[in-house]
Amino acid sequence: MLAEDLELQRALALRAVTGGLLRLRWLAAATRFELAMHRHMRALKYNPDQPRVPRGNPDGGQWTETDGNGNPVGSSRVRLAGDVPTNDPPEIPKERPKTASERSAAAKLASKILSSAATVAKITELAVWLAPYASGIVSYNDPPKSLDELRQAVSTPDPGYDIHHIVERSSALKSGYPLDVVDGPDNLVRIPRMKHWDINSWYGTPAPEFEGQSPRDYLSGRNWDVRMQVGLEALRQNGVLKR
Amino acid sequence: MSPPNLKTSTVPDLVALFIALGLDQYQARLRNEQKRLNRATLEMFDVCKELKARAGDQRSALLSLYSHPNLQVRLMAAKLTLAVAPAAAKQLLQEIADSKEYPQAGDAGMSLWALKQGIFRPT
Repeated sequence: MLAEDLELQRALALRAVTGGLLRLRWLAAATRFELAMHRHMRALKYNPDQPRVPRGNPDGGQWTETDGNGNPVGSSRVRLAGDVPTNDPPEIPKERPKTASERSAAAKLASKILSSAATVAKITELAVWLAPYASGIVSYNDPPKSLDELRQAVSTPDPGYDIHHIVERSSALKSGYPLDVVDGPDNLVRIPRMKHWDINSWYGTPAPEFEGQSPRDYLSGRNWDVRMQVGLEALRQNGVLKR
Repeated sequence: MSPPNLKTSTVPDLVALFIALGLDQYQARLRNEQKRLNRATLEMFDVCKELKARAGDQRSALLSLYSHPNLQVRLMAAKLTLAVAPAAAKQLLQEIADSKEYPQAGDAGMSLWALKQGIFRPT
């Protein structure tokens, strides 16, 4: 138990150090960007914040060097480094959150913190209410498996896993592919539940890779082989299927 | 709150908006909020389109985000600057794919795959 405590503390400390280093890198990059923008605007003799005389005045719309009270105005507002928007994931709440989205976020965060060292004991040490999510948190860090292993596991349901259609089911049925092919053994794999969420979300999100469409919309006019190729690659790239 | 007028925004304002949208995407992915994720993604495409339309293609301003501490911001900055800095953007996508920090690692890997397949032609 002591060893597990130390391991957990080490994982939390490592995460904090990594976050701090990233913040420093960002501050340096943002400062470089601000300086470049200042130089750029000085070269253009342009200050986006320079006020104009209000409409209704004889010289309305003209640039002015003072604000409404006659005070001189400052320089431009290029200020990225002053505000370090890290948006670090929130702490895992000790009490069970009220909404499903907050609980999902906490479960994903627990899997990120614990990584492949996740065990039920360590998960409940982070927060007792996470116990029902423990199998999903542990499975998220499963090593990649072969296609045969993923297909064979379909016959063994497990709470940390979902049955996943390699070629998306509803879109394939809509395109007229027969049910026995769509729900056939070649198209079904058992994958970690939270990886299933990630892959489904990826299919539904607009992407520059697919001309701004979601992969789901892009594939809707494509044949079975193309859909299968994309589906298998999504499993590989998400660390579910061995390369 | 009314959406900012992209046409009258300065380049630093557009970069700041890009960051805010990336952070929103990060939260949406963590919380499984698909509508929020899609809305923020489409708004980000508009920001990018506006930067591209500026004299000299100001998407290069997004290169400063390659060091941003948030993984989703880095991911989107890399994807959306492939046309202006292909080698650096690909290198960053590879780093994200290798990080095994999912789901962004999977997304970066799919992006590189789509490039290799000729499905993704950045413009």
